[in-house]
This record gives sequence, structure tokens and C-alpha cells, in this order.
Amino acid sequence: MESYRQDKIQKFEEFVDRRLKPDLVRAIAERDKVFEQQKTFSDLRKNIENLEKNSVTRLRTLINLGSEVYMQADVPDTQRIFVDVGLGFHVEFTWSEALNYISQREEKIARQIEEYTNQIASIKAQIKLVCEGIRELLQLPAEKPLPGHVF
Amino acid sequence: MEEPTKGTVTPFASMFPFDEAQKAVKRVEDAIAEKQKELDHLKQFIADNTNLINLVSCLPDELHHDVMVPFGKAAFFPGRLIHTNEFRVLLGEGYYADRTAKQTIEILKRRGKALDSQAESLKANIKDLRAEASFFGSTAAEAAEGLVEIREDYVEKSSSADQSKSEKGDNKVTIEDDEYAHIMSRLDELEKEELAAEGENDSDEDEHTYTADSDNESGEDECIDIVEGDNESGEDAQINAAKRDSDGHEYNQTEANFNNFASQTSLKTRKTQKQTEVKNLSVEALSNKFHNQLDTTDQPNCTGLTVQPVPKDDMSNRKHPTRIEKSIPDEKDLLLPGVKKKVEAASSSRNEAPNWTTKSRFDRFKCFTGPIEECSSITEENSQNQTVTSSQTPVRASSPAFDSSKAFTGSIVERVDNVPTSQERSATSSQSPNSQPSKPVSRFKMQRR
Repeated sequence: MESYRQDKIQKFEEFVDRRLKPDLVRAIAERDKVFEQQKTFSDLRKNIENLEKNSVTRLRTLINLGSEVYMQADVPDTQRIFVDVGLGFHVEFTWSEALNYISQREEKIARQIEEYTNQIASIKAQIKLVCEGIRELLQLPAEKPLPGHVF
Repeated sequence: MEEPTKGTVTPFASMFPFDEAQKAVKRVEDAIAEKQKELDHLKQFIADNTNLINLVSCLPDELHHDVMVPFGKAAFFPGRLIHTNEFRVLLGEGYYADRTAKQTIEILKRRGKALDSQAESLKANIKDLRAEASFFGSTAAEAAEGLVEIREDYVEKSSSADQSKSEKGDNKVTIEDDEYAHIMSRLDELEKEELAAEGENDSDEDEHTYTADSDNESGEDECIDIVEGDNESGEDAQINAAKRDSDGHEYNQTEANFNNFASQTSLKTRKTQKQTEVKNLSVEALSNKFHNQLDTTDQPNCTGLTVQPVPKDDMSNRKHPTRIEKSIPDEKDLLLPGVKKKVEAASSSRNEAPNWTTKSRFDRFKCFTGPIEECSSITEENSQNQTVTSSQTPVRASSPAFDSSKAFTGSIVERVDNVPTSQERSATSSQSPNSQPSKPVSRFKMQRR
């Protein structure tokens, strides 16, 4: 009986350590990526809005060639912009089209973020559940969850 | 075989448990992986840097390049690069500098060098870690094999300390001996000096008379001895007896010589002879037969020398080399039959005066070829000097002899050899009868002991 319980506890712990926690880490990493995308697109939207507001037709900017070496670049026509739509495809948009696309993209990104957040929460819940199961097996008194104790 | 306390046997596994060793290996390997990652990163930087250098070097070739100008991370504008020879380079801490293509390339090359050195250090680091890992791995393997470590304290040190102590003690003793020898030699020297001084006084008159005396007397005696020796040389048993007889005979003779030489100082000379006896006894204590032989034979020579220098002439000195050369083959011829071994064993049977001396010398040549040759030449010079200052020679000659008798060291024995060689030469050349008597004294003493 005792050995069986020990085995069970070990199995649970292994499940938490080998399965749930890596899953959680991966999910968080994914969500962070999506957050970054969200930020990129929001920046792009802001920039395009800025161009629109200032009605910039010619743009002179600095290009980073790598290792923080910059060179001047001239954009003769700012009306057309190529936006990354994923999988290495860039679509030529006008400013309004671009803004439209960006808003749709932002919505999608928001959904993705929510999804990832749910996934993360469920993983956390599973970890908690397994930990509770281990506690029961060890017949330890139930402890109050500490605030800020995530996992 | 050995005491259990001497060494300890510890199984490797107890010192470095297999698991622990494995863990260590794993840890080190993790560290290696980390470093490797860092190195890869660095290599990436280096590659980027070289690419950038190439890019910067080729950008100014054209006035402008058509490129897609990034607008944020997710958007581009079609555009072109302008001012292709103007670069803005980050110097660090948010400071930028406008540079030309060439200057930029220089900057980038310097950065590249720094990166290379970093990569090198990282590589060395990884190498060290690899060695460590392999060591841990081998340790783990050895532990698994059940290897044992045998550790034994280095006990030799303590014993060597004891030895050194004992050596110190020995040194003390030897020092004391040396001191004693020195004092004695000094005393003897003084006595000799005194004797020499007296001899000097008389030398002019005595020289000729003495040589005549000694030549006559000793020559006669010697002849008798020779006859005896020749007769009895074939027979083993009788040689000793003969020697003894002759020794005794000649011992007396030397004494007589001494008396002749300076009747006033006869007491003193006897004293010195006694001293030599004492020394000879101590020589015996050494129990080294060869040394015994040498010393004892040499001793009397020296005492003889004290008597001898007077009759030395320039002529005799010049004769030395030829005479010796002759004498050696002569001696060989004479000694060849049967007797030779006996002669050598007993250090020498005196078949003939010159032969005997050469024989002993021959033996010595065998033993100390190098040093004697050297010194013999020196002594030759000495002897030549002696002819000039004949009266002083006794002192000179005597002092080494006495030294030798007391301090039984190899080097001194060598020194002793030198003196006798010159002595023997003189003996072979002009003074053979005179020197002869002195030698038997030693033989006699040896026999007596």
C-alpha cells in the first residue's frame, strides 16, 4: 500500500515536472510572441496614422545595416506600403488598406492572446490539481493557497 | 610484507562514488553545452560582422541601391539607399559617428578582432571543461571498475634525516680527526724543520760524507738483501721470512743512516719514526689493505726523503726519466716467472733494489694512473727545485706524508703517491741503495703488525 502510494506520488510529480510545466512554459512563450506581434502591428498602425496625419509623401530614413551601422535611405513614394501578412508574404497596400488589414490582424492577435491565456490558465489548474492529489496521497493538511504562489 | 600502518588502501568508489562522478560529469557537460551555445552565438556575431564588412565595402561602388526600406518590423516601403559612402556607426552608449566606408570597415575590423579573442578564450574554456569532463568520466569508470588507491607515506624522509644526523656526527669525528692530524703534522713539520735547519748547517760538510756513507753501507746491505731475495723468491713461504729478515735489517740500517746523518738529532728522528709507527698503526685501523700497503711503503720513503735530499744532484734528476723507463721493463722481465703474483700479493718482494721501487710504482700506476702521472711530473719539478734548496725539501716532503698517514682519504693517498714517485725516482736514479733501506722499514712494520 505504502509503496503503491509512493509510486503514485512519483508518477504525479513526474507528470507535473515533465509534462505540465514544460507545456506551461511553451504556452507562455507563444503568448509572448503574439504579444510582440500585437505590439508590432499597433506600432505600424500608429506610424501609418502618423504619416496620414502629416501627409508625408517622401520619406528619408536610416536603415540599420546590422551591428548598429546605419545608412540613409530615401523612399520616394510613401503611398504604397508592403505589409507582412504571414508566411513570408508581403502585400502591397495603400494606407487605408493597410490600416484595415492591421485592425483585422490586431483582432486576430487579441483572440490568439486570449486563447493562449486560457491555455496557460488550464495548465496551471492541472498542475494545482495534481499537487492537491499528491497532498491527499501524503495525507497532509490542506494548506491555504499563498497569494502570488503561481506554481 | 609491509606494516598495515605504512599505507592505506582506499577503494576509488568510496572516495568518488560512481553516482557522484556521473553527476559531476553531467554538470560539466552542461557547462560545456552552455559555453558552446555562447560560442555559437559569438560565431554568429563574427559571421555577421564579416558580412557587414563585405556589404560596407561594396555599398559605395554605386551611387544608390534600390532596396525595400523597413518600416517597423512588419512593413516595407520600396525605396533606395542614398549617400552610399556615409555611414552612421554606433560607438556605444548611444553615441553615433558619421564615417566613410573605409573608416567604417576599420571600425568593424577592430570589432571583429575583439570578437575573435572572445571566441578564442571561450574555446580554451571549453577545452578545459572537456578535459575536466573526461577526467570525471574516467574517474567514474575507474570507480565502477572497483579500482583502489594505495597511499603510503614517504617514510624515507625521516630516515634520511636520521642519516644526516648520523652523518653530522661522523663529520664531527672526522673533523676532530682532521684537526688532530693537522696538529700532529704541524708538530712533525716543526720537528722536521728543526732537523732540516740543523741539517742545513751541516749539509755542506755532511752531504758528501753522508752520501758516501750511505752509498757504501746501504749498497752493501742492499746487495745482500738482493741476494737473499733472489735466492728465496721462488719459494712462497720463505719470502715472508726473508722479507722480515731483510726488513729488520734495513730498518736498522735506516736508523743507522739517520744516526749518520745527524747524530745530534738522532733522538728526534727516532721520535718521528715512532710517530710514523703510531700512524702506521692507525693506518692499519683503516684495514684497507691496499692503502695500508701504500701508506706503509710511502711512509718510510718520506722519512727516507728527509734524509735523502742532501745527496741529490742535478745530474741525478736529469737521469730520472730514462732510468725509470729502463727499470720498468727490467722489472717485468725479472718478475715474470712465478714470483710475480706473489710479489704483487705481498705488495712486493725485493728481488732487486731498483726493481722493487719500480714495481711498487708500477702497481700504483695500475691503480691511480691519471693522478700519479700528473703529480709525478710535478714532483719532478719539485725535485729539481729541491736540488736548489735541498735543505728545505725534507719539510716539504714530510708534511704530505704525515698528513696521509693520519687522514685516510683517497685524495691524500694520491698525494702520498706523488711524493714517493719522486722519491722512487731519486732512489732508482742515484739513491737506490739509500732509498732501499727506507722501504724495507715499512715492510718490516707491516710484517710486525
